[in-house]
Amino acid sequence: MATGLDNLKHIVVLMMENRSFDHMLGSLTAVNPRIDGVPADFSNPDTNGNPVKPQPLAEFQGQLEPDPDHHFPAVDLQIFDGNKDAGRMPNMQGFVKSYFNQQKDIGHSQKIMYYFAQEQLPVLTTLALNFAVFNRWFASIPGPTICNRAFAHYGTSFGRVDMNPFDVIEPFKSIYSRLINASPKRTAKVYYYDTTSSTMEVANLLQNQPELFGTYEQFKQDCTGGALPDYSFIEPNYNDHDTDSGEAVASDQHPDHNVQAGELFIADVYMAIKRNPSLWSSTALLVVYDEHGGIFDHVPPPSCTADQFTASLNDTGTGMEFKFDRLGVRVPAILISPWIPKGTVVERIFDHASIPATVTKFFLDDYSPRSPREVSADVFIEPKAQTVDVTRNLLSSATMRDDCPEFDV
Amino acid sequence: MTLINVPKPSKDAGNPNRPVSSLLRNQIEHLHIAERRLPPQYHSDIYVNAIKTEGEAAAYIRHVTEAIHKGHKDAAVRRAKAVRPARKSSKAKRKK
Repeated sequence: MATGLDNLKHIVVLMMENRSFDHMLGSLTAVNPRIDGVPADFSNPDTNGNPVKPQPLAEFQGQLEPDPDHHFPAVDLQIFDGNKDAGRMPNMQGFVKSYFNQQKDIGHSQKIMYYFAQEQLPVLTTLALNFAVFNRWFASIPGPTICNRAFAHYGTSFGRVDMNPFDVIEPFKSIYSRLINASPKRTAKVYYYDTTSSTMEVANLLQNQPELFGTYEQFKQDCTGGALPDYSFIEPNYNDHDTDSGEAVASDQHPDHNVQAGELFIADVYMAIKRNPSLWSSTALLVVYDEHGGIFDHVPPPSCTADQFTASLNDTGTGMEFKFDRLGVRVPAILISPWIPKGTVVERIFDHASIPATVTKFFLDDYSPRSPREVSADVFIEPKAQTVDVTRNLLSSATMRDDCPEFDV
Repeated sequence: MTLINVPKPSKDAGNPNRPVSSLLRNQIEHLHIAERRLPPQYHSDIYVNAIKTEGEAAAYIRHVTEAIHKGHKDAAVRRAKAVRPARKSSKAKRKK
């Protein structure tokens, strides 16, 4: 039977910054119990050993200052609570202790356990409840932005667990190079917000292949004009700056940037696609966060296939090597399409390596070589060319939905 | 179809005087490496270690991003000029 998957022509990924699943979507368990949000019995001990329970007291701005530590050693503490033993298991008990280390203030450290009430985030929660929300989408590495975003572009971070520039190590290629060099040729673009915000993928893509980039304004024009490439990756505005038309407020939601500005941006991306009926019917939009930003989540990250790289104990800063054999903290991820049944909750495990894995399988069917992490990553959209397992096809509706929400942006 | 109201952030949400985060600091460092690889005429006179605020970071990020695009465009123009056929041969073609 034909399903929405047969209509799919475009995949768009919007990657936001530094918020955990429980922090953004944890309230939704009360609305849909299948969504694995904040459990009633979850807590973290503070440095006096007193339990700190999650509370719906998150504010849009001004609360997570200083920026919670999310470099590799801090995330190790958050996940393992300081346990360095062989065979240790993640227990998600170290978030308050980790935040305490930055200001030595017990009251302040408890704010790391705050989450947003549903009504505070009308865009993200509406999308999660109306389309497919992933209960088990994790950052690729228990570490910071650059190495996690690398997994979205290359399926590996080439052994990096930090924020330093990395070199692409042959034979692995970016998803963009794979697509534009394919036969038949495919199209791909990275849309950064504007040149004043630019991209986090500077070291390799921007300085060597700047033709891959466009602005967010161009993205909107491409949506209107039906000129969207096969694959688009959108970056939010990473800084507050002045423009010819006024102030551009950072929309990445990175603490301490305003979360409502990010809500507006997500809604704007969604509506840019939805306003063009032919694009809306042929596009899947993934909204995902690069990592948790040091903010609490209750789900222990699972182990995974090791990558072929190893980060040394000097690189990790934990006194232990890292073989890229465990995922990072869980992040919000939502797949949007009018062919996805309302209220879909996905239980399979994904990480950012699933992005190039999915785009490759969908547009190219196969590609080699790819990193061990990417090869083993699950795909969130099935390839059209093969027989689709109905239980794995998220775009499973035979008729296009006409009840999808709209936002007044 | 439900129309959802999206609240706007407060007027003081943006602050170009906010100290740069570690993320922006790293973006600046990455761009600085890229800038040094450009021919000298595309370099800025901004001292990156003196960048303290988001507004200052934004000005530098814009300069280098635009310089990278311009550098590649200029190089493409030079390459096209280098392979353009000589004028004489095109005149000869028209005479035929």
